[in-house]
Amino acid sequence: MPTETDIITGDRKTDRGFQTPEVWAKITGKAIYGIDLKLPGMLYGKILRSPHPHARIMGVDLEQARRMPGVRAALAGDELSCKPFGMVYKDELPLAIDRVRYIGDEVAAVAAIDEKIALKALEAINVDYELLPAVFDTEEAMAPGAPQLHDQHPGNLAWQRELTRGNPEAAFKTADLVVEGSFSVPQVHAAYLEPICCVADYDPYGGLTLHTAVQSPDIVRELVADVLDLPVSKVRIIGPVMGGGFGGRVYGNLKVYIISSLLAIRCGRPVRMQLTRQEEFIAGRPMIAAKIRAKLALNQDGTILARAVDLITDNGAYSAQAPWVSKTLSERNDSVYRIPNIRTTVRLVCTNKVPTGQYRAYGNQVGNFAMESLLDMAAKKLGLDPLELRLKNCVKKGEVTVHGLRINSCALSDCLQAAADEIGWHKRKPGRGYGISAAIHAGGSLVFDKNMRGASAYARLEYDGRVTLFSGEQDYGQGTHATFILIAARALGIEPDQIIIYSRDTLTSPFSIGALAMRQTTIGGKAIQLAAEKLREKIAQTAAEMLGEPVVMEGGRVRSATGKTLELSEIAADYRFQTSGLSITGEGKYVPSESAYDDTGYGNIAVAYSFAAHTAEVEVDRETGEVKIIRIVAAHDSGRILNLISARGQVYGGVTQGLGYSCQEGYLFDGGRVLNDSLADYRIPTALDVPDIMPIFIEQDDPEGPFGAKGLGEIVMVPVLGAVANAVADALGIRVTDLPITAERVYQAIVEWECEQ
Amino acid sequence: MTKKVIVNFTVNGDHETREAEVGQTLLRFIREELHLTGTKEGCEIGECGACTVLLEGKPVNSCLVLAVELEGKELVTIEGLSKNGELDKLQQAFIDKFAFQCGYCTPGMIMAAKALLDRNPNPTDQDINVALSGNLCRCGAYQEIREAIKASAIK
Repeated sequence: MPTETDIITGDRKTDRGFQTPEVWAKITGKAIYGIDLKLPGMLYGKILRSPHPHARIMGVDLEQARRMPGVRAALAGDELSCKPFGMVYKDELPLAIDRVRYIGDEVAAVAAIDEKIALKALEAINVDYELLPAVFDTEEAMAPGAPQLHDQHPGNLAWQRELTRGNPEAAFKTADLVVEGSFSVPQVHAAYLEPICCVADYDPYGGLTLHTAVQSPDIVRELVADVLDLPVSKVRIIGPVMGGGFGGRVYGNLKVYIISSLLAIRCGRPVRMQLTRQEEFIAGRPMIAAKIRAKLALNQDGTILARAVDLITDNGAYSAQAPWVSKTLSERNDSVYRIPNIRTTVRLVCTNKVPTGQYRAYGNQVGNFAMESLLDMAAKKLGLDPLELRLKNCVKKGEVTVHGLRINSCALSDCLQAAADEIGWHKRKPGRGYGISAAIHAGGSLVFDKNMRGASAYARLEYDGRVTLFSGEQDYGQGTHATFILIAARALGIEPDQIIIYSRDTLTSPFSIGALAMRQTTIGGKAIQLAAEKLREKIAQTAAEMLGEPVVMEGGRVRSATGKTLELSEIAADYRFQTSGLSITGEGKYVPSESAYDDTGYGNIAVAYSFAAHTAEVEVDRETGEVKIIRIVAAHDSGRILNLISARGQVYGGVTQGLGYSCQEGYLFDGGRVLNDSLADYRIPTALDVPDIMPIFIEQDDPEGPFGAKGLGEIVMVPVLGAVANAVADALGIRVTDLPITAERVYQAIVEWECEQ
Repeated sequence: MTKKVIVNFTVNGDHETREAEVGQTLLRFIREELHLTGTKEGCEIGECGACTVLLEGKPVNSCLVLAVELEGKELVTIEGLSKNGELDKLQQAFIDKFAFQCGYCTPGMIMAAKALLDRNPNPTDQDINVALSGNLCRCGAYQEIREAIKASAIK
């Protein structure tokens, strides 16, 4: 008998493994990525970047570059009339005008007939700089007299927040135990393997077309149109296949799109611009760095009473989404457990370093590292099992969290138990360390746009009886489109191979916020379901009119009460003749009923919340400090799993990236200069670094998501950081509080501990 | 003008005679002269493995080899694996095991795996990890890649 809670382990045989035919193109090398595109007459664009962390631009001399054979255009900021732009603050210009604020700031750009000439032309540009004092440390940047980056951010404070819920002061005073810790996490790059590339093409009649792969084409389209002062309908984005995104390509690198567009408009020819790997590191948009001071108040029995967080995040030179990322980082994991009292202080500080962006999970994983470390510190002091402490406090279905999140489905305690059982929590092997960590993540949070809560889609019956879906939701390998096809197949009662989906052209796709905030399956998938149901209804209606009697649609055809049948192609053909060429279409719009938040950020910010608990088993070499990850068990509540093969892929990938975040990755700076600006020096996980990863899905239907499903793509990396940190602390008896937990850091921690003894 | 040299070689079984620029990398030559864009560029300095091809049966980062070195040699790229629309069994195993997501590292990964299976038809996990350690997959499909290579080896 099936039980209410259906546990799927990664090894269970299943038929839920659907892939779109795009895999064929990828496996044969035929898939066209952004870097593969060439247009007739295409020019090559390159950007001249500031070599100084902070300087005044006294003059840019482009004459010599312009005179070089093969150069078609050279641009500097002072001759452009673009509006400042930015997601939160209008703090960036396509090319700097009076000041550069980090090593890598865009100063001038050229377009030439080939790449070599473009690079030579950059060398021929003379820029006269007057150096300014620079600041690289967040605390120094807040000090009086520090060099100031932006007039709009006095004291270099790009954003700040003070938040109190409940009565944290009283709780800290009366608690049996207060644990405190300071944690730090460096900038981390999404490091998608395909560097950002864009081919911009412009003609005054058709407007601007950008051939580039981004996670949120509609957002990029509106931003680019605004900066270039073009009507939005005259900007079109066509997405080639994307070589990885992970949040780093939500809007990719706007400067690349804008500068290549400016060059294309100037030259009247297509312009291709591709970042080098080094440019990706020094001028891409890594995830913000954070310094977290946090404390937790508990009663002797392990009940959590309050949490206080003082967060300082490093904005770098420009903000992009850094305020929103800082917000999520500071508060999301408050909702994993029942914490009645909260005090949060956030300061986002400008420095003369690489500007920041976002990465998968939007900072939630960084908060997880600090919170879950604190919980284990508390468990140790209280003499409680870390698993029991979590089970005692974790949120449950039906609760409303301290920030107002309404938990309509939740299998977190099952996840904790399953992850612990599978790793052998109570059957520990000697010499090994074990760690556990839990997470919540919003499926489609409203942070991007309070008014744009939902999603829409179209479904069209083709004349041959097949179905085409139109969606603005992006798939770059996660399996979103395969999942959407399965949703539509289920709603229509037809086979998935009869359906294709199209999403990569802003001219034909419905508007969408795009692949971010873990919204696509929950919200975009729901729109697909509604569109398919609408199509089914209209097909039945048309068929009923054709046959003159009531019908039902089943098994890919329509049958009437008296047993007459019609193929879908016959219905489509009839409709086409009746309407002089129209197709039957279903329009799906999903508008979540109640998702909102007040000025303090309190409210139900998403339609559904996913949960996870991970356990880690590690070995630590006390002589060398080397951490060996033996195994990760990742137990997830993402509601009903619609396509197991891609769900497993998300877990493997998210855990792998989480392991990189935990133990390997992080920017190193010398002043404002990025020291590890290559994939050899910035080490992302290789096959040798990745242990056995065991996905477990605890399936419970969510009442809102399509066929009970919730999001998965971001939460997969959240609990890894806390689980690994706790496992290392368990193995050593010493806690490392700065990421990444490298052999060097562990070794230093051991030496410091020995000195203290 | 950039100096050019005539090179004779075979690519995916076909004989070719082409001009190659002195100093041009094999990666650029494959992508821009042979128009075989399945071979990907991720770093151009030998750190990511996305441009792995087989030269004389051995896996090389094509960004670290000069095009003129092709003279008299046999080159196989991802486009040479499937014959008449039929996938190589390694390619099919990659699909069956969902051993890729964005697919960008996949051509290089498959060429590296092909070379491994050619010299070691029955590799262990550790053999696979070592053989693929120069091929980065940011989507993190290593576990499925191992499964695919082993499934392909058994067939």
